[in-house]
Amino acid sequence: MESVAEIEQRMQSARRSFDEVKAEIARVIVGHEDLIEDIFIALVCGGHCLLEGVPGLGKTLLVRSLGEILSLSFSRIQFTPDLMPADITGTNMLTDDPSGRKVFEFQRGPIFAHIVLADEINRATPKTQSALLEAMQEQNVTVGGKLHRLEHPFMVLATQNPIEMEGTYPLPEAQVDRFFFKLVLEFPTHAELSRIAELTTASPPGALREIIDGPAILQMRQWIRDVPLAEVVKDYAVRIVLSTHPQKQQGNSAAMAQKFVLYGSSPRGLQSLILAAKARALFAGRPNVAFDDIRAMLLPSLRHRLILNLEADAEGMGAERILQEIVAQVPEITANSL
Amino acid sequence: MSEAPEILRQKFLQLFGWEKRKRRQEILTTLVCYSLLSALLLLPVYFLLPESFLRWFIPLPIFFTLAPFLFVGRRWRRGDSARALVHLDKALHSDERAITAWELMETKATRPAALLVLNQAAERLKTVDPKALFSRSRRWQDYALIPLLLVWGGLLWFDVDSWLSPDIQTPAQQGLAQKLREFSRELQEKAGSEGLRQSLQVGRELEKAAQKSIESKIADEQFKSELSGMSSKVEALGKPVGNEPSFATAESRQSLKDLKAELEAAQELLNLPDGAKGARDVGQPSLDRLATLPQLKRQLDQQGQANRSLSQSELKSVLDAMDKQVTGELDRRTLLDAQQFLEQLAKQGQAEKAETNARIAGRGEQDFPGDGEKAKSNSNRPGSEPGTKEEAFQPAPQLPAGAATHLKGMIGEGNSSGVALKAKPSAGKTEVSQEEVIATYRRQAEQELNTERVPEALKETIRRYFLSLETKQEQK
Repeated sequence: MESVAEIEQRMQSARRSFDEVKAEIARVIVGHEDLIEDIFIALVCGGHCLLEGVPGLGKTLLVRSLGEILSLSFSRIQFTPDLMPADITGTNMLTDDPSGRKVFEFQRGPIFAHIVLADEINRATPKTQSALLEAMQEQNVTVGGKLHRLEHPFMVLATQNPIEMEGTYPLPEAQVDRFFFKLVLEFPTHAELSRIAELTTASPPGALREIIDGPAILQMRQWIRDVPLAEVVKDYAVRIVLSTHPQKQQGNSAAMAQKFVLYGSSPRGLQSLILAAKARALFAGRPNVAFDDIRAMLLPSLRHRLILNLEADAEGMGAERILQEIVAQVPEITANSL
Repeated sequence: MSEAPEILRQKFLQLFGWEKRKRRQEILTTLVCYSLLSALLLLPVYFLLPESFLRWFIPLPIFFTLAPFLFVGRRWRRGDSARALVHLDKALHSDERAITAWELMETKATRPAALLVLNQAAERLKTVDPKALFSRSRRWQDYALIPLLLVWGGLLWFDVDSWLSPDIQTPAQQGLAQKLREFSRELQEKAGSEGLRQSLQVGRELEKAAQKSIESKIADEQFKSELSGMSSKVEALGKPVGNEPSFATAESRQSLKDLKAELEAAQELLNLPDGAKGARDVGQPSLDRLATLPQLKRQLDQQGQANRSLSQSELKSVLDAMDKQVTGELDRRTLLDAQQFLEQLAKQGQAEKAETNARIAGRGEQDFPGDGEKAKSNSNRPGSEPGTKEEAFQPAPQLPAGAATHLKGMIGEGNSSGVALKAKPSAGKTEVSQEEVIATYRRQAEQELNTERVPEALKETIRRYFLSLETKQEQK
C-alpha cells in the first residue's frame, strides 16, 4: 500500500510532467495554453476531444506535437464525403499465406494509433462517422466478425470547421456526446500572430523531446481517480448539470434552461466534468477537488452536450453563455447539499 | 500515527461551537425583535387585557410562542457544518481542503490520498482561530433591538396604547366623568353645609360612579347610558313627596336659605333661658324678637300664626315643621339641579353649558323671581338667545326702627353669599341684645369658615376675632 509521502511524490511528478508538456508544446505552438491543458487532461482521463476552429490555426501541428512529446503513435484521417468506414477501421485483404493458400488478413486502418486526428469530421457521411463510434466508446473495432482491440492510451481528436457548413454532415447528438471535451480554438492575438510568423518562417525548431510515455499516462489515469472529491463539491456539479435541463427545477437557473435549452447535458457530461476536475486538481498539485475545478472544466465538458432550441438561435445565445449564466446562479452549497 | 485528525477535530469543534453560539445569539436577537415588533403592532388591542400592568409583559408570550419554532427550525444541522467549513475554506483560500477533510474524517477514510488531504488541511487550520476569523456580523435585528425596546417602552410609559384603543375614552370623553366627579364633590360640599341629606347621598353616589368610570375607562356610550340612568334616579328623588303643596315651593332659593337661617336663629332664641321662662306661653319679648326676622315673620303671617298666642312647644313645633319643609325643598331643588346637570352632561357638546347653568343655579346664588316654580321648566337650560340679567340686589325692605340687621358678610372676592338687607336705623335702644347679634354673627361666620372660600390661613384669625368680640362683651 502506498504511503502519504508516495502520494505526494506522484502528485508532484504529475504536475511536473504536465508543466513540461505544456512548455515543450509551447516551443512549436504559439498561444492556446488552455487548449493544450484541456487536451492533456482529456488524454489522461481517457477521453476524446472535438476541436472547433477555422482552418490554419495549427490543429494538426498541435496534435502531432502532442504525439511526439508523449511518445505515442499518431495518425491523421482527412474526412471526405466518399470516405468509407473501412478506410478508418481497416479491412480484410485476400493474401497468400507462406504455404501459398489464399487467406484473409486484416489490414489495420488509421484508427489503430494512440492519437488519431479526425480532420473535418463533419465532411464524412454519418455512416463513416459512426465507424468512429465503437472505437471511441469501446476502444476496439470489429471487422469481419472479429474484434480488434485498440492500443491504450487511445484518443481521437476530431476537428470541424464552424463556418463552412455546405456539404457537411453535422455530427449526430449521440456521437457528439461521446467526446469528453469540445474545445474551441480562438484566433490568435496580435502578439501571437507575430510570434507564429517568426517561428514558421525561420529555421524549424529542433525535434521535440519525449516527456512521458503511454504507460505513464495510464498510471496518471489511475491517480486521477484516486483524488478525493467532497460530497458538497460533487453536489455542486450535479446541481449544475441538472440546471441545464429545462424539465428540472433548480431555482433561478431553471429559467435560463427553460427558455433556451431543448435537451440538457447527459450523465456523461457529469462524468467528464468530475473526472476533468479531478485531473485539474491533480495537475495543480492539490489532493482534492475544489469548486473552482468544477467551474474551470464546465465549458469544455458541457458546451457540446446542450441542445439549444430555436429561440436560442434567434437570440444568438450560445451554449457557453447559457452555461455561464447557469453557473452564476447555482450556489456552491445549499441546505440540502448534505 | 498522524496528529492531523486530532488537530482537525479540535478545530472543527471550535468552529462549530462558535458558529452555534452565533446562531443562538442571532435567534435570540431575532426573537426579541419580533416580540417587540409584535408588541408594538398589538398596541391598539392592549385594552383587552384584564389588568393594565399586564401590557408590560406582552412581549413575553410572543417570545415564548416564537422561540420553539425558531430554535427548532434553525437548529444546527449537518448542512450548517458543511456551510461553515465551505466558508472557512473560502476565508483561508484552501480550495475546499477543510470540507473534504471533514467528510473524509466522517467516513473514516484511511486511503493515502485521503490522509494527504487531512494532513494538508490540518497544516492550514493549525493556527486558525475561528472567533477571530468569523467575528460576529451585525444584522438589522442587532441595530433595531435597542431602538425598538425604547420605542415600545416609551409608548407604554406615555400610555399611547390608550389613545390607539377604539374603546377607550377620548380625552373629551374622559372629561365627562371628570366633570361629573367635580360636580358631585361640589354637590356634596354644598349639601353638607346646608344639611341636605338626600343631596349629600346623591353627591356621594355620583362621585363613586364618576370615579369608577375614570378608573375602568368605560366606553363613551356605556357611560352615557349610565348618566341617563343616574339622571332618572335623581329625578325620581327630586319629585315632591306629598300631594299637598308646601309653602316652600313658591319661594325662591335665596328666600328659602334666608328663612332657614332665620329658623335656626329663632330656635336658638327659643332655647335661651330667658325665653323659656313661661313653660306654657311664649313671652312677648320673644315674639317681638321673632318679629324682627323678616322671612320668618312673613311666613308666620301667611300661615296665620303671627297673631295667635302660642306656647313655646307649639311655636317650636311650628318652626320645626317649617324648617323641615324648607330643608326638604332646598334638597329637592338641589337634586333637580343635579338631574339637569346629568341630562345635559349626557348630551355631548352641551356639557359645558349644562355645567355653567347648574353652577349658576347651585352656586351663583342670584335670586330670580319665581325660581322655585321654574325649577322644572326650560328656563334653566341653555337658551337659543342671550338672556337678560336681573338685578342682583333686591330693594331693601323698610324695616321698623330697631329691627335686627341681618347681614351676611362678603368673604374674599366673588359673589355675595347671601342677600344684603339694609335697614334704616332708628333712634333709641335696640331691641335685640348684643349677645344674640354676636351669636348670630358667630354662627354665620362658622358656616362660612367651613366653606372653601375662606383661605385656610385666615380661618383661625376670623374665629379668634369673633371670640374676642364675645370676650369683650363678657368683660363689659
